[in-house]
Amino acid sequence: MRPLSLKPLLALVVGVAAVAVFTGLPAILPPFYIRVLQVFFFSAGLALSWGLLGGFAGYWSFGHTAFIGIGGFTAALVSSHLLGGGGTGWGMVVTVGAGGLVAALFALVLAYPLLRLRGIYFAIAMLGVGEVFSELSSSIDWIGGGLGLTLPAGTDLDIAPEVFYYYVFLVLMVAILLISAATKLSRFGYGLMSIREDEDTARMLGVPTERYKIQAFVLSAFLVGTLGAVYAYSLGYFSTPSLFRVDFSLNMIVHNMIGGIGTIAGPVIGAAIMVFLTNVVLGSFLSVHLLLTGALVVLIVLLAPTGLLGLAARLWQRDPPEEEPTSPTRERERRLTNEPAE
Amino acid sequence: MVALQTLIDGLILGGVFSLAAVGFSLIFGVLGIVNLTHGIFVVAGAYIALLLWSGLGLDPLVGIPVIMVVLFATGYVYQRTIIQWATERATVVASLLVTFGVALVMRNILQLIFSSDIRSISPSYSFVSFSLGDLRIDAVRVAGLTTSLVLLTVLTLFLSRTSFGRMIRATAQQPLAAGLSGINVPHVYGLTFALGAAFAGASGAVIGIVAPFSPATEAIWTLNAFVVVVLGGVGSPAGALLGGLLLGVINTMTAQYIGPSFTNATMFLVLVLMLLVRPQGLMGNAFGESR
Amino acid sequence: MDSDTILRGRGVSKQFRGLRALSDIEFDIPRGSICGLIGPNGAGKSTLFNLITGYYPLTSGTIEFNGARIDGLATTRISRIGIGRAFQIAKPFPDMTVYENVRVGALFGREGQRDVKEVVEQAMNLMGLSHLAQRKASSLTVGSLRKLEVARAVATRPELLLADEPCAGLNGTETAEMIECLRRVRDQGTTVWLVEHDMRAVMSISERVFVIDAGTKIAEGAPDVIVNDPRVIAAYLGAEPVA
Repeated sequence: MRPLSLKPLLALVVGVAAVAVFTGLPAILPPFYIRVLQVFFFSAGLALSWGLLGGFAGYWSFGHTAFIGIGGFTAALVSSHLLGGGGTGWGMVVTVGAGGLVAALFALVLAYPLLRLRGIYFAIAMLGVGEVFSELSSSIDWIGGGLGLTLPAGTDLDIAPEVFYYYVFLVLMVAILLISAATKLSRFGYGLMSIREDEDTARMLGVPTERYKIQAFVLSAFLVGTLGAVYAYSLGYFSTPSLFRVDFSLNMIVHNMIGGIGTIAGPVIGAAIMVFLTNVVLGSFLSVHLLLTGALVVLIVLLAPTGLLGLAARLWQRDPPEEEPTSPTRERERRLTNEPAE
Repeated sequence: MVALQTLIDGLILGGVFSLAAVGFSLIFGVLGIVNLTHGIFVVAGAYIALLLWSGLGLDPLVGIPVIMVVLFATGYVYQRTIIQWATERATVVASLLVTFGVALVMRNILQLIFSSDIRSISPSYSFVSFSLGDLRIDAVRVAGLTTSLVLLTVLTLFLSRTSFGRMIRATAQQPLAAGLSGINVPHVYGLTFALGAAFAGASGAVIGIVAPFSPATEAIWTLNAFVVVVLGGVGSPAGALLGGLLLGVINTMTAQYIGPSFTNATMFLVLVLMLLVRPQGLMGNAFGESR
Repeated sequence: MDSDTILRGRGVSKQFRGLRALSDIEFDIPRGSICGLIGPNGAGKSTLFNLITGYYPLTSGTIEFNGARIDGLATTRISRIGIGRAFQIAKPFPDMTVYENVRVGALFGREGQRDVKEVVEQAMNLMGLSHLAQRKASSLTVGSLRKLEVARAVATRPELLLADEPCAGLNGTETAEMIECLRRVRDQGTTVWLVEHDMRAVMSISERVFVIDAGTKIAEGAPDVIVNDPRVIAAYLGAEPVA
């Protein structure tokens, strides 16, 4: 339809340049900044994974940290029970892969009942799921989240841990970025977006809504579980509160909102801004951390409800209504407060 | 005997849950907003009660009117500014985030003022208890339960008998029609929100004497309120009472028979099951299919 | 005869709790035709379309499409075998452009090979929407929204298009334009069944018209027969003069 735009080409150039820069950076950065960037890659990966379900399909999960926890605990349990405490090098690939798969498996079981809920009800039910898994992981002795679990070092190469995890998280983030972009452009992606816009109409157009929602949920959980497993490795020793953190769930949403929900670059931009702000700028104001994060969330919703990308788009190209505009927001509002689907 | 004692403990606890949730339910039913700042209102009520008690020696239950006035005013201003801006500009899910953001800010402020320490209020009757055969019932709990029931009754009568109550119900059912027939809808929304906040504050005073609290417990009270509403149904004090009592019993029964560290897990399991089986709650939506 | 009927209903009935919304509706829609469905407000027209598209289950009766039973199939399935639907309340995806909206129809809808790009462009051309391709649906006028609603349904490549009041809210010129568009859809080989309030519009385009009132079919036939049918006149008494 439109002439081949420069946008994909530009994205490719920027992307390759960014990866090249990030690959070289550890050689010159002090360890503190390497760790900050590592947190950024982790957070951006999480936000992108959340966006597959929340951004594309419009199902906002408030409890995605459940999958971080499931991924991390699975990796540690596989390491201690099946690998005799091993899990370094190729062993790490096995444990992390297991973390992602088990998270996906739980998502598959949860998907059928939970995805029948819509809007606020789904959001809160997921919050509940996060709480339940958190509590179970610390209360069931066999899992041992109360006392804590350990994982071996991820590699026996002669490399500083922060540099190693820097690269692992970088690779994962880039992979998830590519998966998200491919999804967005695919038939599957269009189907998910039509579900977000209006699920009943999507069904009427032949979109297999049930299957697509489940697939998006499972894929999202798999990626978050994988990230969670690597994160657990980077901690070495962890317990329930180090992985099942409500602020992880919240950050995934906030990063998407800041950048722009339903976009590819948005979650990454959002994560970059927030990680930089909270770790570098506000690093020394720990006592007012919550206050500032909360205030930022409020400001974004009030001032840029479509995120920074949406704001930029509005400033770039004015898109005046053809004549009398209709109000999709009202319509959406009605849908989001809807009773769950029959 | 243990079962009966557990049941009674659960019902007493549930009465307090009901009062703590009724404001949330009202706001959800009338404005369609899931107010994640709700727990802050509850905890703020408890801290005001603490100040009145330690500063003026005022009994927390006697201080309830003061607390309600303060929170009523706060709630009104909050709704007419931030909440209204958010719902005008963005979606309802965004209002969920705004209230969450405000909750984080307020929790932090409470921590700065009162520290993160766990507090409780112990009036003179704190250590009195009655015995009925083998059953033991604490005086504070009876006082708390009675207060809850009285306040819930007052709210029920207020909503059903006064013209303001009728205005609230009309607005909840047909905001457009209510506006056309001369009701100032934004004002009614503000007042409803204020009313919800006032009752949450009142419950804070009751919670202050029966349970420990700290700024961080606000999250629990918000979630509790949500579960109560899902169990009982939206918008009516009767629904909140039913949901609260059920939740109270579920809580004490789980703690007694499964283990105290599983209460939240059970609570959410019930929540999710309830959403799937009967999403409108046991009592349905008091305001009908308004949204 | 049989292979000339694309959609057939026998004894189609729907009961909502105590309310009998439709009883014993019978219809045969000839392949390649444009048919009309009229009736006073609340007669059950949209309910009938909702039953055909699997939005609600039937209480009793059968619906056949191309000779095979379709009652009881899921909505998604019905779209895939070739029944498209344009809603009475236009429901375009607000945050998507016109192009993207139509593209969803082309990507999904009826099963089978197609060139998605070509289908999208054809559907937009047919409805005269090409110049608005990159517009967000939320910035369109009512007239363009209606066209988009039909274009998206056409892009699902249906054999049968159920158009639920596509002219509602349109002025005279726009209505004439929409009727012309529907004629082009039919000329492409798609059977069209149309619910419409504007009697003149329905009568000018339809080969056969079904009239329902209070949940029962009261008349069926060619437009000139229908306008003179005493039962139809009675049902519409006080309504706008016909033809």
